[in-house]
Amino acid sequence: MSHDQPKPLSSLHPGDEAEVFQVLAQGRIRQRLLEMGFIRGAHLKVEKLAPLGDPMELVIKGYHLSLRREESQCILVSEEVG
Amino acid sequence: MTTTVALAGNPNCGKTTIFNALTGSRQHVGNWAGVTVERRSGYFQGPRGPVEVVDLPGTYSLSAQSEDERIAAGFVADPSVAVIVNVLDASNLERNLYLTAQLLELRRPMVFVLNMMDDAEKAGLVLDLPALERLLGGPVIPTVGNREEGIQALRQAILRVAAGEGARAGLVNYGPDLEGELLKLEREIGRDEELAQSGPPRWLALQLLEGRAGAVVERSHARKAITAQVQASLGFLEPHLGADGPTLVAERRYGFAHGLVEEVQQRSARSRLELTTLTARLDGILTHRWLGIPIFIGIMIAVYSLTFVAGKLPQEWISAGFNLLQGWAGAHLPPGELTSLLVDGIIPGVGAVVVFVPVIMLLMGCIAFLEDTGYMARAAFIMDRLMHLMGLHGKSFIPLIMGTGCNVPAVQATRTIEARDDRFITILVAPLMSCSARLQIYIVIAGAFFPPVQAALAILAMNFLGFALAMIVGKLLRLSLFRGENAPFVMELPPYRLPVLKSTAIHMWEKGSVFLSRAGTTILVGATLVWFLSHYPGIANRSWSDELHRQEAAVRTLDLPAAEEASRLEDLALAHQSRVINTSLAASLGRKLQPALAPILDPDRTRDEAWKDSIALTAGFVAKEIVVSTMAVIHQVQPGDPEDDPGSVGLKAALRQRSGLSPLTALAFMVFTLIYTPCLGTVGMILKETGSFLWTGFSLAYGLGLAWLMAWLTVLGGQALGFA
Repeated sequence: MSHDQPKPLSSLHPGDEAEVFQVLAQGRIRQRLLEMGFIRGAHLKVEKLAPLGDPMELVIKGYHLSLRREESQCILVSEEVG
Repeated sequence: MTTTVALAGNPNCGKTTIFNALTGSRQHVGNWAGVTVERRSGYFQGPRGPVEVVDLPGTYSLSAQSEDERIAAGFVADPSVAVIVNVLDASNLERNLYLTAQLLELRRPMVFVLNMMDDAEKAGLVLDLPALERLLGGPVIPTVGNREEGIQALRQAILRVAAGEGARAGLVNYGPDLEGELLKLEREIGRDEELAQSGPPRWLALQLLEGRAGAVVERSHARKAITAQVQASLGFLEPHLGADGPTLVAERRYGFAHGLVEEVQQRSARSRLELTTLTARLDGILTHRWLGIPIFIGIMIAVYSLTFVAGKLPQEWISAGFNLLQGWAGAHLPPGELTSLLVDGIIPGVGAVVVFVPVIMLLMGCIAFLEDTGYMARAAFIMDRLMHLMGLHGKSFIPLIMGTGCNVPAVQATRTIEARDDRFITILVAPLMSCSARLQIYIVIAGAFFPPVQAALAILAMNFLGFALAMIVGKLLRLSLFRGENAPFVMELPPYRLPVLKSTAIHMWEKGSVFLSRAGTTILVGATLVWFLSHYPGIANRSWSDELHRQEAAVRTLDLPAAEEASRLEDLALAHQSRVINTSLAASLGRKLQPALAPILDPDRTRDEAWKDSIALTAGFVAKEIVVSTMAVIHQVQPGDPEDDPGSVGLKAALRQRSGLSPLTALAFMVFTLIYTPCLGTVGMILKETGSFLWTGFSLAYGLGLAWLMAWLTVLGGQALGFA
């Protein structure tokens, strides 16, 4: 398994797996994302998109979480190419 | 002496179930000082006196970014708390331990609860409890909250730790670099004794590295030294470890959580992850690309029918009961002002409050059920895109939809929205949803002035107008008064679980009784005020009431057949009522307000009686249903009218003939009733839920302003299109 160049989490598709590279968001959102487990190297998997295309459901640290595109754009991940 | 215990834990960890199991039914619901977050506390009996258990709001951290977190962080640090009970979801330990890592820093006696042990076992997780106790430094109690397993052991552990037994809680090791800087920071904090006494210096040092707690330090005389040390520490750490302070601290806490889980948790060989599979399978259907929305709509229809169709029945019993009481009191008490206050003011006022209780309890029960099953988060997930367009949160959808049944529980249902701004916007726009009481007004007015098909269209248009306005106003509020940083939509989708019916029942009871006790007073005061406005000074006019009595006596001497006598007496009473209300303070207010209302209700200045509308609208402030019955009084509908059967045909005819409204101004009247000041029940609830007279006043004021504007636009538009 190798890692691609970092890209925004929002560009991933359902089924894709990746590792968190960096949280670009600032302020409250940054703190909240860190607390919810978006720390360097954390493994995540994109589960699906909501029926209207946003938000996104993903699995991180063993639990399910939903994020709006606004927020997933601010998270850089390295996709795992299996 | 009372021992106080704080229950802290993540949302969805089953904390409230543990709370209910610990305290039984002896609970008290209030608000935290200064905010509208619910404070739930209860008691259980210990050998050395009662133990008070306080259920803190569920939070993922103590970083004090939301109202909930500020409350939780403040309370666990309070010296009056003897024991912190940290409830953890055993099936999702790692994320739950992040909060634990923060709680440990407070250096308080702690008890750890591994809740949902059954789920963990089903998921094939084996936990080494002795090892966990050793590493966390406090008793670890496995529980299954919804079956009340382990609760007795938990009570005993709380009592033991409160009595001073139990090891010192463990600590997170932040690694040599951070620990070194933390020590330096602690030393600087120690220069200010007061600051060092106010809480553990290490906890403050950590917060400083995370870029928080600046305000606390600002007040200290050692602030220069401390700030300089924070700068120096970050100046060293950030380039050295390649990330900023908040990231480094969060990484180490998750490192601690991960290490702990590695050490104490094993996946058994038969790890079939049943739980996850069930949730995944359900989500495969419930949030499916095509099925998700139809299923959601189906569930909404079910909730709506249960609340407003089934809830209608007890509501009718309550109204019938109050009508009986009103009739009885009116017939048996000596006539006079006090009787009128009771019969026309207080009894209908109390009735207007109590009548909401069934729908409140049913809707809150449904919402608690959806929340406890885990579906509520999915509903927000499905609807968020749409709601976000109007500046709202996915969780705003359900309160708004329920607003079409009744605004009162809709405003209360906003409790499920965590972020304050999202909640306030939803509370402010919810009254724009056209409720079923307003429907009664539309039916009468539209029925009086439009042929059937157009009447139905006009009624439908009101509902759409309400929804469209809610969207626009929501967006405008977001862009103006609530422009602050958007609360992050970072929402957990918890595993599906079977709800505990006992919890749901407790929740329903609480919501109903809290409404009666808190919103009830507001509503009663309002009802009395409106009664006063619409009855004085006429009600105190002795010569009028004497005249009525003389006329009544005269009718009785005529020896008419019983039915005719009754109808004559009723006519007299109505004429008297009409006289009182048409000379009341509300009426003179109406005359004064007429110039303001004229552009919308009397654009051609042809109506002599336009001022009567404002009496009906004033009365509608108590409950919108009253608009119709008030119109019957002010336009003196004769109960004996031949057209009277069925229903309110008599009223419709009277409106057509006597009110002077044209179809266009009637439509403007409907638009106005849709938007203007919601009923007292809603106002009482808004006051309770915002905890602010300012916001309640704002809600009233913008409702009136917008109602006028929209009604005026209706008239202008209608005239431009050639309707007179």
